[in-house]
Amino acid sequence: MEERDVDHLLEQYLHLLHEYTRLRAELNKLQAGIYQNLARANFAAERGLRYGQDQYDDRMRASRRVVVAPLPSLSVCPTFEVVKVDADVDAGTETAAVVSKSEAGTRLVQDTNREQKEEEEDEVKEDETEPIASSAKEMKEPKSEPTTMKKNKDPLRWFGLITPMPLRQAQAQSVQAVEDIVPKLVSINAEMTQVEIEVRRARKKRAKAEAAAKKSEDATGKGEVAA
Amino acid sequence: MASTADYKDRQFLAVIGDEDSVTGLLLAGIGHVTDPPDSQKNFLVVDNKTETAAIEAAFESFTEQRKDIGIVLINQHIADKIRHRIDTYTAAFPTVLEIPSKEHPYDPEKDSVLRRVRRLFGE
Repeated sequence: MEERDVDHLLEQYLHLLHEYTRLRAELNKLQAGIYQNLARANFAAERGLRYGQDQYDDRMRASRRVVVAPLPSLSVCPTFEVVKVDADVDAGTETAAVVSKSEAGTRLVQDTNREQKEEEEDEVKEDETEPIASSAKEMKEPKSEPTTMKKNKDPLRWFGLITPMPLRQAQAQSVQAVEDIVPKLVSINAEMTQVEIEVRRARKKRAKAEAAAKKSEDATGKGEVAA
Repeated sequence: MASTADYKDRQFLAVIGDEDSVTGLLLAGIGHVTDPPDSQKNFLVVDNKTETAAIEAAFESFTEQRKDIGIVLINQHIADKIRHRIDTYTAAFPTVLEIPSKEHPYDPEKDSVLRRVRRLFGE
């Protein structure tokens, strides 16, 4: 029985390993494309210009963020996702994050509520099955705040208004890597870790069962000799 | 396993890599600088002059101090410099993923996940 358990777990583990290797190959391909396109953009750029850290915007805000799927139970491993975040939603969550770090009290509660609302909106957006009349109202609320400024958050703009085609291609490949491959890879990694733990447990159980069987065999053997 | 509080606020990806790797990933919109006076970045550009201590400090900041990082991406050749830290890191959040760089293609021999696989199969 235990033998079958271990085999089943190992089979599951090998499937995960296969998927991990496949995703790795895809990530390598995308990364190679990104580097090639960046090199092309740098080659064609004006003399002395390099698309790199000198042009990063020091006030950058993440427009793609990690969402960890809620765990139904503590024994289940987490699933990662990277989603695009709206500029307005971004402003809201940022306020909440900053407040939670520095202050406590009523503002925190308000902002957390807003964050929850926005999270709900995101879920609604993803599902696109439920009516969104009420959440649309809520969505407009942060927009009406006078302090919120709408800016173009596309990182391509750090490098100028007219950017070369290879740089745009590099961005497209990077988005694909970050949205599709990286979250799957880390989710599979988490799943593999979980299966590893289960395999070790099953092996331990099997070893114990074998030891117990051997002991009982020895005991019966001694009994027969004595008789 | 992890509790809800462990992962709820982990919304950013962090990168430790060479300039091209970081630029490429930031183009996807993962870069984030927190509001002043802290102004903490979620990336570190590593070049020949960057000391291992600085890489280690960034790794520690992303994995232990900051509670808003969900995934840490690190170039494999940079991970090699702090291999002991990477291999002994076992927390579920944030999760660490090694990625190839321009001059150092992905080497499965060094991948911590595949090292774990070999260990499981008793090699």
